[in-house]
Amino acid sequence: MTRFAFLIDHDTCIGCHACTVACKAEHNVPLGVNRTWVKYIERGEFPDTRRFYSVNRCNHCDDAPCVSICPTTALFRRDDGIVDFDDSSCIGCKSCMNACPYDALYVNPETQTVHKCNFCSHRVEVGLEPSCVVVCPTQSIFAGDIHDPTSKISIMLGRHDTSVKAPEQGTKPHVFYKGVDQAAIDPLRTKIADDGMIWADTTEHHPTVRVDTPGRGTQIVARTAYTTAHPMAWKGKVSAYLVTKAISAGAILAGAIAVLAGHADNRAFVGLALPIVALIFAAATGALLVADLKQPKRFYYIFTRPQWGSWLVRGAFIILGHGLFASIWLLGGLLDSPDLIKAVAIPAALLAAGTAGYTAFLFGQCEGRDFWQTPLLLPTLLAQAGAGGAGLGLILAPFFTLSDELRTVLTWVLLGSVLALAFLIWTELSSKGTVHVELAQRAMTHGPYKRRFWGSVIIGLVAAAVLAIAALATGSWVFGLLSGTAAIIGVALYEDAFVRAGQSVPLS
Amino acid sequence: MSLLDDLSRSAQSQLSRIMPGSQLTNYAPVERWDDWVELDAEAWAHGERKERRFRLIPTTCFNCEACCGLLAYVDKSTGQIAKLEGNPAHPASRGRNCAKGPATITQVYDPERILYPLKRAGKRGEGKWQRITWEQALSEIGERVGTALREDRHDEVIYHVGRPGDDSYVERVLHAWGVDSHNSHTNICSSGARVGYATWMGFDRPSGDHANAKVIFLISSHLEAGHYFNPHAQRIIEGKMRGAKIICVDPRLSNTASMSDHWLAPWPGTEAAMLLAIARLLLQKGAWDREFVRRWVNWEEVLRHMRPDLDCTFENFAPAVIDLYEEFTPDYAAQQCGITADKIREIADVVATAVPGKLSSHNWRAAAAGNEGGWQVARCLWFLNVLTGSVGTEGGVSPNGWNKFIPVPPKVAHPHGRWNDITWPVEYPLAHHEASILLPHFLKEGRGKVDTYFSRVYNPIWTNPDGFSWLEALTNEDLVGCHVALTPTWSESAWFADYVLPMGNGAERHDVASYETHSGRWIGFRQPVFRVNAEKEGRPVNRTWEANPGEVWEENEFWIDLSWKIDPDNSLGIREHFESNVNPGTPLGIDEYYDMMFRNSIPGLPEAAAAEGLEPLAYMRKYGAFEIPGGQYAVHERVVTPDEIAKAHAVRSVDGVYQVPGTAGLHDNVSDIGGHMPFIGDGSLGVEIDGVVRFGFPTPSRKLEMYSPMLRDWGWPEYAIPGYIKSHVHWEDLDMAHGERILLPTFRLPTLIHTRSGQAKWLNEISHSHPMWIHPSDAEKLGIGVGGLVRITTQIGYFVIRAWRTEGIRPGVVGVSHHMGRWRLDDGEGTPRYSSALAALAGPDTSYSPGTAPTGTDGQWKMTQVKGVTPFESADPDSGRVWWSDAGVHQNLTFPVQPDPISGMHCWLQRVTVAPAHADDRYGDIAVDTGKSTEVYREWLAKTRPGPGPGGLRRPLWLARPVKPLASAYLTPPKQWNAHR
Repeated sequence: MTRFAFLIDHDTCIGCHACTVACKAEHNVPLGVNRTWVKYIERGEFPDTRRFYSVNRCNHCDDAPCVSICPTTALFRRDDGIVDFDDSSCIGCKSCMNACPYDALYVNPETQTVHKCNFCSHRVEVGLEPSCVVVCPTQSIFAGDIHDPTSKISIMLGRHDTSVKAPEQGTKPHVFYKGVDQAAIDPLRTKIADDGMIWADTTEHHPTVRVDTPGRGTQIVARTAYTTAHPMAWKGKVSAYLVTKAISAGAILAGAIAVLAGHADNRAFVGLALPIVALIFAAATGALLVADLKQPKRFYYIFTRPQWGSWLVRGAFIILGHGLFASIWLLGGLLDSPDLIKAVAIPAALLAAGTAGYTAFLFGQCEGRDFWQTPLLLPTLLAQAGAGGAGLGLILAPFFTLSDELRTVLTWVLLGSVLALAFLIWTELSSKGTVHVELAQRAMTHGPYKRRFWGSVIIGLVAAAVLAIAALATGSWVFGLLSGTAAIIGVALYEDAFVRAGQSVPLS
Repeated sequence: MSLLDDLSRSAQSQLSRIMPGSQLTNYAPVERWDDWVELDAEAWAHGERKERRFRLIPTTCFNCEACCGLLAYVDKSTGQIAKLEGNPAHPASRGRNCAKGPATITQVYDPERILYPLKRAGKRGEGKWQRITWEQALSEIGERVGTALREDRHDEVIYHVGRPGDDSYVERVLHAWGVDSHNSHTNICSSGARVGYATWMGFDRPSGDHANAKVIFLISSHLEAGHYFNPHAQRIIEGKMRGAKIICVDPRLSNTASMSDHWLAPWPGTEAAMLLAIARLLLQKGAWDREFVRRWVNWEEVLRHMRPDLDCTFENFAPAVIDLYEEFTPDYAAQQCGITADKIREIADVVATAVPGKLSSHNWRAAAAGNEGGWQVARCLWFLNVLTGSVGTEGGVSPNGWNKFIPVPPKVAHPHGRWNDITWPVEYPLAHHEASILLPHFLKEGRGKVDTYFSRVYNPIWTNPDGFSWLEALTNEDLVGCHVALTPTWSESAWFADYVLPMGNGAERHDVASYETHSGRWIGFRQPVFRVNAEKEGRPVNRTWEANPGEVWEENEFWIDLSWKIDPDNSLGIREHFESNVNPGTPLGIDEYYDMMFRNSIPGLPEAAAAEGLEPLAYMRKYGAFEIPGGQYAVHERVVTPDEIAKAHAVRSVDGVYQVPGTAGLHDNVSDIGGHMPFIGDGSLGVEIDGVVRFGFPTPSRKLEMYSPMLRDWGWPEYAIPGYIKSHVHWEDLDMAHGERILLPTFRLPTLIHTRSGQAKWLNEISHSHPMWIHPSDAEKLGIGVGGLVRITTQIGYFVIRAWRTEGIRPGVVGVSHHMGRWRLDDGEGTPRYSSALAALAGPDTSYSPGTAPTGTDGQWKMTQVKGVTPFESADPDSGRVWWSDAGVHQNLTFPVQPDPISGMHCWLQRVTVAPAHADDRYGDIAVDTGKSTEVYREWLAKTRPGPGPGGLRRPLWLARPVKPLASAYLTPPKQWNAHR
């Protein structure tokens, strides 16, 4: 069985960038993005200085996280090991960009779909080497079948020691590096200095370590002298979706608690307001998700050509189910049928919890983002749903007739959720992890997202808790409303910091 | 579960593989080049299996001088070029390319390229243009030149070329016109090293056999730049993988230095001291090739003239040389170079491992192009090759002429008989070659004027030092009557032309070139791809511009048609050289020209073509290159037969040289020498070595001249043997405490090529910035913050740039890469917007309004940047995606001319003051006083020892010279003789 792979010989690579340009020519790759690029690092002190190169590209992994996360099979692994794509299926969700630990994928600005090195599979089909291999002046790129013992790449692999990038991600990458300086393939051990790169502008999109990690002060061993830009894939719309989703799910969860507490007959609040809120925020969630797609018109591909292993697909169906049960709940309210509401409350709550929590599994599929791999993400998302749902309930409460008991239940849910969040976040940030995780933590607490993070702590945890206690103590709806508002603002600020910090750690 | 069909393509393969099993190959087999099918990459990305039919047409790259092979993939359905890959049939590049090769397509489809002939509509430099026809351009320019020739103003026609990418065409044109008007770019490029090599062996460039060397000694950056980057890099790495040690000398950490076993960063200009110390160590330890030196070096001359006290026996040679170089101990060299004595000893030990014959070396630009006396660096490096016996050997270095083949063009004219003092001034009798950078100064001081100035792929305002003096000259219509810019793209200089005539890129023109890339000889054939494709499709093309984009032409046909306009009735005897033999009375066709050349001038080609049943031209059109059969090692050892001696009536001189009567080697009167003299050498046949007449080297002695009688006789006896000249930027002369530093402004990047790649979007995306490299310790001493703005003050002005701290440069030296700093004066048109800043220019008297600058007088100039690189609208959506903004700073404007008094090389290194920028300085600010430029020009001119030399000659007859005139043109009344004697 054929297994194609690359071997880059950095004993001979002269860092000339011919591969980069030949690739651009073969695939008409637009400005601003690259399927392959050459990174430069500089080490040492004069006169014992050296510049090292590393050629970067898709690693054509055996366990390709981009394939696992792709919701529409736009990315797929061929029988010959090449990870290829068919962008007519791509909806532009960019999840693959966070799944890949190598920064290998990009959004093609011309097609608004995700592209990457595909081993020039259209050339391989006719028996031609990839164009980067052909152009290389020093024949430093080997592309061939590692299961054919007579192939040049097999012989090279047999004779020489090689390394791969990020082996700890378990992706079984198939770009093998010979003679490479280890710092040149470890993006966490070099950084772009404050005066930039050797012969190109540095932009905010150029990946580099931007924060210091006190415990690991010596990890930077070289400067990044040249690399290419890799903009953040998920930004405001994704963090906003986490908030709307939390509120939507939380509204049903709060409703279910109310039902369990015997308030199924509160038609206005439990029967109508909460499911309407859930549905409005579910719709907003869907709208944000679609709006974040680079191909929004193709959003339905998730349902028509689903890749069931992707939590994006699973999540979409969970949200759909959540919406369905919220609708039935609303129907119960409209028909003034507390029995119907009671009947759907438990399955609706489960789907709401799934809606709130599935993102933990989606983020877990983002193999490139260690920070998101935390086991605490699921409880955190559920607690956020609690805070969001109860919070919105408390905001709406003054406009409805609520029993003191129900209001107290909501307040306790809110307080409990906030305290749980405080505990979870504290645990998260005080735990040790990979360098990647610690850099992301640091970016969140001391780096570019610190205002958002500390804002979330002060508003969403401290203020929300104090106000909730005040509400419990005084029974005043004003404190309840303020506490709910603070909790939701806190969730929003935290999620934005969390989403961005997770992506702030360089992968290349 | 999937509701829609699986669109995966993998099951649909129909196109058959050209390789068995899972094997892959690099290129389509040549027999299928005329009809090759590939799957379309962009359709493949959409899951579509779209077959695309191509015709593969070989051509050569026209970015750097290497002329690597390219294969143009012409889409048969559109006639457009889809991509350019390498040409596997090209003996030098072997199917591989650097980044600039595949980038050629971005030059062909550059949305800003000039597509039609333009004539200026307003004042010169005002930026107003009208489109004209080629007929109008040819008629008007032809009439101008014709009038100048009829009025005996031949010297007023100047042809000034950058890197021509062709070996013989224009030389033929200029001889036919009878003008001595060739002006090259050599003295901003390679003059220094050329003189160093030429004094030894006549040939002025080395050809290293890197792939087979044990030690590769580079005073160059051949793994990223230089002649010939890609072919040489291939072979250097081959040598490295076979175990060769690489030594790289460079004051800054080049990519080449990074790949070396030994990076040496001596103080700039002290390299010769280090090399001489190594040479002396080799002699002391006996690690030298005695037999080679005995046979092939003029050691008798060394002893006779340098140590007349000793018997002239070979045994005395080594001790005498050790004595002669007594000063050059490792300690002295260490003190001068800033490299430890131990390191110098270590390098000498490494070099010693190459004895015999396995030292490959190259001095390309670098120290030889940077320093006054830099030519001695190449000379001292060659000394190591000589001592290690690594000359003409496998794994050594051959003279370039042995590994290069220049075909004799058809219809060669009699040599012209003129000497143009404006290009070959009396002050520089040994220069290699023309004093091109001094042209504006010569014009300003009244040495002559230019009626018609052809600039061809040449951008003197930008590339040359002292660009404002060029600007002043080029905008003064009294000094330059008409400027015709032949160029594929806009440039700073084309902006100041009267005619801008678009000429083809690599895939759009004919040229023939051959370079010394390895041991062997080849010629590469550049082809106009669109024309060849049209002809293959049965659409006849009369002139290449008919098939090219717009009306982009090629120079070869341009010169033919222009020559007809100059001399329509052959009354000047010019037209006949551009007339068809097949159809007399009509212009020579381009196919006829190359058919004649390939049929008659290239050994082995007709036979190789016949073996495939092809005419020679068809063979070259098919393969785009040809390797001339036969080995090229040890050419100097070839035996000259008695028959050859008899046939030439050669006469043995007292030194054993077989000289031929009527040549530069043997004549009573210079005027007896008729016809074309050899490009290099005096026409002698060989030299007797141990009783056998052998070919030798094209020096007067036919040997390697460690002792150069030429330097002695032409005014420089102190430099008769290889030596060390302290540079104009010698570190001990600098006032470091007050901020003086050495500026290294020349280094190149692997991705760009002078101003020729400004429109190549992919290349400029990779590299577009050139911060000033400075060692952190220097930055601290000078108070320059991280990334801070710096004002670099030269002798004539200053520029403001950003600092970049790096451990990759010697403290005391700051470096700014040569490529960036492009500018344009109009936001719409001019220098490509992928690479240029919009600039504002203030001239000497008033605020500069283009075309109105007072000219001919020196003045104060100031340039500021209005904006850097920005996205722009064009037919290519990529132009709207430009994400970078830095265009760099045009440092060359602030450099005075610094011609080496012997080689004529512009000494690029600058003695500068480096300081934090002033409060009101902005990035990109430039100020220059051309009055000071004139002063510096005069200072450097005063360093020369003008000719004429012995015999009243303007230049040694045997020395290389482009477009060599009749020997009699070398004669001059000896009115300026005796200067400095």
